[in-house]
Amino acid sequence: MRFTENTHPILDFKRGAPITFTFDGVTVAAFEGEPIAVALHAAGVRTLATSLGEQKRPRGLYCAIGNCSSCMMVVDGVSNVKSCIELVRDGMVVETQHDKGAL
Amino acid sequence: MDKTLEKTGIPTTEQVESAFPPQERLDEGAVAIIECFQRIPCNPCATSCPRGAIVPFEDINDTPVIKNENCNGCTLCITKCPGLAIMVVDTTWKDPAGLDRALIKLPYEFRPLPAVGDEVIATDRAGAFVTKAEVVQVLLNHAMNKVPIVTIAVEKSLMRTVRGIHLDARQRAVVCRCNDLDEADIAAYIAGGATSIDELKRVTRLGMGPCQGRNCVPIVQGMLARTLGVPVAELSPGTYRPTVKSIALGDLAEYDSARDELGDGEK
Repeated sequence: MRFTENTHPILDFKRGAPITFTFDGVTVAAFEGEPIAVALHAAGVRTLATSLGEQKRPRGLYCAIGNCSSCMMVVDGVSNVKSCIELVRDGMVVETQHDKGAL
Repeated sequence: MDKTLEKTGIPTTEQVESAFPPQERLDEGAVAIIECFQRIPCNPCATSCPRGAIVPFEDINDTPVIKNENCNGCTLCITKCPGLAIMVVDTTWKDPAGLDRALIKLPYEFRPLPAVGDEVIATDRAGAFVTKAEVVQVLLNHAMNKVPIVTIAVEKSLMRTVRGIHLDARQRAVVCRCNDLDEADIAAYIAGGATSIDELKRVTRLGMGPCQGRNCVPIVQGMLARTLGVPVAELSPGTYRPTVKSIALGDLAEYDSARDELGDGEK
């Protein structure tokens, strides 16, 4: 990802109402209608999960359409939520997912 | 294997050569290089040129023909081409460093933009590293159709090879994001004798992560095809088994009750 909010080469952004949610216990500002991963990206968060291989490499926003499974997070206690296609809600509790996540 | 533009997305050396004017014209000053080789219904370059240097199209599907004597390398057409197929080359630039360098003016639609004086990586038409290049100018204003133009200085001998830039060296090319496999890992297994997705899967867990092979398998099929010299269509697609997409067990459990409520045809 090489662009930050408001500086996309082509698109203009129309934002929803401001809301807040928590990421690993920290309160994060967001806008209604944004996917969780987008709100976190705008807040400067680049690591959403870790790979499943032995190296546990950091994984972040990649395909952004729910295909690549790099952005799976624990959302309101439910693991393996694809944060790039799940819209953020006011008061949501989002956590980094390490390893495969509990069922 | 077929090395045509249609198969690779990369113009052949002959095509690139055909887009360049004769050396005498290059020696005279800046000129547009239009690498537009396929007939498509598109003509903004011809309609935007204020000097009539791009011959008006008889048919909107025509590919552009440039009158080199009319072109002064103004770069207006660069910002109008939706395919980013145009660059301007200037071999008459007076290099303040005293080196034998030419200017290449390229459309660059990424952020952040480089700054004047930055050292960037110049790449060829396939995206591979060619040389390091100095950024001489970065232009973007309201009349430029949101297409910034980055001017770089490269050795004149590389003028026909360089066609892009990126801002930092990539350390590794990740192929499998789920199970931590780089291009080099897979290349080593292919060099060691692996000839199919299924073989690689058994050794590396490629394609067995939560993405179900959606990212890695097409890339690795391409690597196999290039290394083995076989078209992708003739390679084994590998074995796919359900579930194709990850599904929460709760969703499956709810299926019966939803069917009871809605009836068979509804869900």
